[in-house]
Amino acid sequence: MRITCPICGERDRREFYYTGSDDYLNRPEEGDAEGMHRYLHIRENPAGVTKELWCHEAGCGAWLVVERNVTTHEVLGVTLASEVAS
Amino acid sequence: MRLETGGQINRDKRITFKFNGTEYQGCEGDTLASALLANRVKLVARSFKYHRPRGIMSDGSQEPNGLVELHQGDQITPNVRLTQQEVHSGIDARPQNYWGSLDWDLLELNDLLSPFLGAGFYYKTFMWPKAFWEKLYEPVIRRAAGLGKLSMQRNSDSYEKAFAFCDVLVIGSGPAGIMAALTAAKAGAEVILCEEDFRFGGRLNSETHQIGGKPGADWAADKIVELSAMENVRLMRRTTVTGAYDGGTYGALERVAHHVTDPQGAPLECFWRIVAKGCVYAAGAMERPIAFRNNDRPGVMMASAVRGYVNRFGVAPGKRVAIFGNNDDAFRTARDLDAAGVRIAAYVDTREEAEIDGDFPIYKGAQITNVKGRKAVEAVTITGRGDVMADCVAVSGGWNPTVHLTCHMNGRPQWDENIVGFVPRHGMIPGMEVAGAAKGHFSTKACLQSGIGSAKDVLKSLGISARAALTGSGRRDVQDHTVLGS
Repeated sequence: MRITCPICGERDRREFYYTGSDDYLNRPEEGDAEGMHRYLHIRENPAGVTKELWCHEAGCGAWLVVERNVTTHEVLGVTLASEVAS
Repeated sequence: MRLETGGQINRDKRITFKFNGTEYQGCEGDTLASALLANRVKLVARSFKYHRPRGIMSDGSQEPNGLVELHQGDQITPNVRLTQQEVHSGIDARPQNYWGSLDWDLLELNDLLSPFLGAGFYYKTFMWPKAFWEKLYEPVIRRAAGLGKLSMQRNSDSYEKAFAFCDVLVIGSGPAGIMAALTAAKAGAEVILCEEDFRFGGRLNSETHQIGGKPGADWAADKIVELSAMENVRLMRRTTVTGAYDGGTYGALERVAHHVTDPQGAPLECFWRIVAKGCVYAAGAMERPIAFRNNDRPGVMMASAVRGYVNRFGVAPGKRVAIFGNNDDAFRTARDLDAAGVRIAAYVDTREEAEIDGDFPIYKGAQITNVKGRKAVEAVTITGRGDVMADCVAVSGGWNPTVHLTCHMNGRPQWDENIVGFVPRHGMIPGMEVAGAAKGHFSTKACLQSGIGSAKDVLKSLGISARAALTGSGRRDVQDHTVLGS
């Protein structure tokens, strides 16, 4: 699998570290116990298009949101996590 | 038996090697298989379960029988194919899977008992007492079955891994692969051409086809010279593309130093990850055997292999060859053997209407139904004729496109009634175009054309015009360490 880092360009997936769903970008308010439970444990598991967080560990170190199809392994889009979050 | 002339071997450079404890001589350009056949060695292995005598059957990586251990000091490389290993003076090749000696294998007894040794026999029989399985039964059975052994020593050889990048990866260097590489390279694309063999050219080296008024092997050699002069082309021989992965990534194993006695510090093998924007797959086809009684006897070979040994290595696999086929390739075998002065004991074609002409016994609408002889072919039984003396049988049941790599991403090939075989569907590997015999085009002309066509399709998808002038901006960003040997 190849991931195109917006900063470094197209690289082998071995340069990246996978950290999970992009749900992690939406941290709930302090004290929202139900929200925190959902944030930590409840995940969609679609056979199709997902949005995931990857870190370009062996490159620029940027956090990325990678949109890809987990059934075909197609990478549909890559954006900097900082842009998505702001 | 070595022929007086012919072949792409260097007869002036003799190389001594060891097989089964005996010293033999081969020539530079020989594989172990061709050198052994030149020395009239027929029995090279024993079968897995029944320990039946086995001989060399093919002339390439599809070899099922000729597997040996290569010993070097206390290191052992098991299951090396005789048909792929180049001869060099450091070779100490030993047969595997026998008990006693290769010639007198005690476990041939299994073959006589075969009516009683059905599938699952061992598991069903040696069940009691339970403790005996691990201590006694299994070690004995393992000793009897199984292929090569490991040395159980630490492996002191060095291995390497590397990355390479290109616009167009061409897999296979037969007529289709060479034309695809040339077309892509002339358009200015960065090209990597991978060839499994140590000589570029594919079947052109083993056949007597003419291209452009010269022998196919010479044509291929000329084109390879042309390609190697181009800055944007990287030629990789002894390199098997082993896998196709997501995003145009291909795995490839280069046998860097298996063919030299002293690697001079080079790694034995290098595993490449090749990232290609597009790919032309031209891996050719494999000949089908025909099922008949005792068709595994040493001396029964594929017809294409017989032609390969005669034309490429200047070796006659037998003195009296019987040919058995259901297609025109069998006749090509007869023609090549005839030209090399090898006697054709019988020509057997299953087709009643086959048009064959030659100065040898021809049996149309007939079949070979049995092979006589145990450690070597002595005679064949032909329907309507009886036994005919022969020491080699060339079998041709048609060709199957080599579809394996195209199936690596879950795609399924489709049945083609015209060639009675499976061909790849389009798009099984994204970015890959299939060309030549791998697509079911079996004539040389069709291979050349399909190589050009597939390369153009790949270039088009990359936005490169096939007519664009060579930019000369080709870079070699990976170190070329294929410098050993000629």
